[in-house]
Amino acid sequence: MFGSRILEVAIGIVFIFLLVSLICSAIREGIESWLKTRAAFLEHGIRELLHDRHAVGIARSVYTHPLIYGLYAADYEPRSSTQPLSALSRGGNLPSYIPSRNFALALMDIAARGTGTHGAANGPTAPQLSLQLARENVLNLENGAVQRVLLGAIDTAQGDMEQAIANIAAWYDSSMDRVSGAYKRATQKLLLGIGLTIAVVLNVNIIAIAHHLFRDDVERATLVAHAESVARDSSFIGGTSQAQYTRARAALDSLRLPIGWDQVRLTPPWDTRLVRDASGSVHPVRELRLWGYVFEPLVGWLLAALAAMLGAPFWFDLLNKVMVVRSTVKPHEKSPEESSDDRQTSSDRQTPNDRALVATPPAQPRPSHPAEAVVEPAPDPDAEVDACDVEADAATKLTEDEELPAARGGVA
Amino acid sequence: MSPRLMWLPDVLHGAGLKVSLVPGWETRGQDSLGRILGVICHYTATPDASRNMPTLDLLLKGRPDLPGPLCQLGLGRDGTYYIVASGRANHAGRGEWNGITTGNTNFIGIEAENSGRANDPWPAVQLDAYHRGVAAILREVGRTAASCCAHREYALPSGRKSDVNFAMDEFRQRVATILGGGAPPVLIPAAETGGRSRPTLRRGDTGQFVTELQQRLGMPDSQAVFGPKTEAAVRAFQRQRNIVPDGIVGPKTWAELDVMRAV
Repeated sequence: MFGSRILEVAIGIVFIFLLVSLICSAIREGIESWLKTRAAFLEHGIRELLHDRHAVGIARSVYTHPLIYGLYAADYEPRSSTQPLSALSRGGNLPSYIPSRNFALALMDIAARGTGTHGAANGPTAPQLSLQLARENVLNLENGAVQRVLLGAIDTAQGDMEQAIANIAAWYDSSMDRVSGAYKRATQKLLLGIGLTIAVVLNVNIIAIAHHLFRDDVERATLVAHAESVARDSSFIGGTSQAQYTRARAALDSLRLPIGWDQVRLTPPWDTRLVRDASGSVHPVRELRLWGYVFEPLVGWLLAALAAMLGAPFWFDLLNKVMVVRSTVKPHEKSPEESSDDRQTSSDRQTPNDRALVATPPAQPRPSHPAEAVVEPAPDPDAEVDACDVEADAATKLTEDEELPAARGGVA
Repeated sequence: MSPRLMWLPDVLHGAGLKVSLVPGWETRGQDSLGRILGVICHYTATPDASRNMPTLDLLLKGRPDLPGPLCQLGLGRDGTYYIVASGRANHAGRGEWNGITTGNTNFIGIEAENSGRANDPWPAVQLDAYHRGVAAILREVGRTAASCCAHREYALPSGRKSDVNFAMDEFRQRVATILGGGAPPVLIPAAETGGRSRPTLRRGDTGQFVTELQQRLGMPDSQAVFGPKTEAAVRAFQRQRNIVPDGIVGPKTWAELDVMRAV
C-alpha cells in the first residue's frame, strides 16, 4: 500500500509538528507570563486609540481612573514611547485585558466630571452622570480626536446612556482587534525564533525523520497509533502551558525517532573519491557533501520552525483531517474481519496468508550476505497462527532431561 | 545492525540466570525480526512435571501446522533459560499490546514449562527467573515493565488464549522492582561453607568429588565426569527430595546426599 505509506508518513510528520508547536507555544506562554507582553501591546493600543502617543494626557487619565486602576497592581508607569514595541516588550504590572465596558464608562466619566479624583467631583454634590453633562463638559478630555468620537457616540445614542456606552465600547473593541492582530504577528515572529532554537537544540530535522518513517514500518505504525489516540483527545492541546510542555516532551521522548544529538554520528563532511589523473597516478579527491551535511539539516530545522509558527491548534485540526482521509483510504485497518473459528486446531481453514507461511520450509537457509537479509519488517504475515497453550499429544516427542543442553550461570 | 538477538545469552547470564544454548540457536528463526518492543509471556501447557523442559523439542521444530521455532526462549521448571532461537519465532498470533499488533516481529516470546493447571503451581525458582529474565531483556532494549504482557493479554479476540495463569500486574510490578535495581539475584554458593567445603558441581565438572557424587547416586561404572546422565540422575534425586531440580550439586544437594547416606 504505497499510497497509505505516504499518508502515514504525513500523519507522523503532522503529529511531530503538533508536538513541536506545542512545546514552542508552551515556551512562548512561559515568556509571556514573565514579560507580560500582552499588557504592553494593550497599553500601546490604547495610546494609539486615544491619540496620546506619549501617555501624558487622556491615556494616563484612563489608566489612572478607578475603574481601570483596580485592574492592576502598583502605579501607572508608561513605557517610554521611543522604545519600539516587540514580542519581548515588558508589560510590567499593567493589565493584559480591559473589559470594553470599563473603558467606555471610564471615558464617559472623565468627559462628564473631569480627571481629578479630588474635591466636589467625588462628593454627594457631584453632578449626575448624564449624556447632557458629558456633552457639555467634553472639553475636559483636552483631546480633539477623542472629543469628536465621544460627541459622535453621544449624538447617535439619542439620549440613551446605555447606547452611548455601547457605541464607545464598540469603538474600543474594533481597535482591540487590531491590537491582538499586532500581538499575534509579533508572537509568530518570536515563535519562529523559538522553533528554530528548539529544532536545533533537540535536532528535530524533519527531513531525516520523514526518511526514517518511510523506511521503518514499525516506528511508523507506532507513531500513527500514537497520533490516532491523540487525535481523539482534544484535551491534548489544552491545559496549562507547563502541562502542555511536559506532555509533548514525554510524547517526543517515547517515540524513538532520530531526534536529539546523542544519536548523531559525526562524520567528516566530505566524501573521498579516488581519481586517476592524466598521468595515470591515483590520488584522492575530497568532495564536500553540501546537501547531506549542510542544507538538509538546515532545511529540516527551518521546516520544523515554520511549523511551530502555525501553532498547535492548526496542526491538531490538520491531524484530525488527515486521520479522516486515512480512514476512508484504509477501511480494512479500521475494522478487520473477525472470524469465530479456532485457527489452531485446523489448518484447512487458514487464510491464504497463513497457507503461504506454512508452506515455507521451517529451516530456511540463511542468505549468504547479511546485507541482503535486512528485510523490512512487514506487518505480521502469520498474524493468525501461534504456538503455545496446545497440549502435546502422544505423537509429540518429549525432551528428556538427559537430552537437554548444558547450562551455565546461576552459580557464584 | 543485525536484527538477530545475539545478545540474549549474555544479557540473561549477566542477570544471574542459568542459561543453556540450544545448538543451532544462532541461526534458528528468520531474519525478519524488527526492533524489540516488548516480551510476551507464555506457558507450554505440557502436563508433565517430571521433566525439566519436556516441550523443548516441540519449540524447536514446531508442529505439522506451524513451523518452528515457536519462541525465542524456553524457561525450564528449574529456572534455566533455553535459548531456542535468535531470529523470528511464531509465538504471538493475532493480538495487540500497547498499540502494537506485530507480535512475532516486535516481541520476544518466552515459553515457560507449565501445564497451566491448578494442580501445577509455579516453582518459586522458575517464577523468579521469569521476572529476572523479562527485566533483563526490557532493560537491554530500553523499555519499561509496561512493555511485557501475558499471551492472554495480547491475544485477540480476547479470551482466545489462557496463558499465562498468574496475575500480570503483580508480575509487572516485580519486573519494575528488578529494573529499578531492587532484589539482586541469589546465586548458588561456589562451595560449601564449613564442613568439607565441597565444591558446587555441575555438568562438565570432573574429579574425585564427581566420583563421590556418582557413587552416592548409585551410578555404576562411573567415569568421574559429570555428564548428561549424571545430571539427569541429580535432577531425579533433587525432585525426590523436593529441592530445586536443576542438576547442580550445591551445598543443599550435598546436605541431602549426606542425609541419604546416614539413613
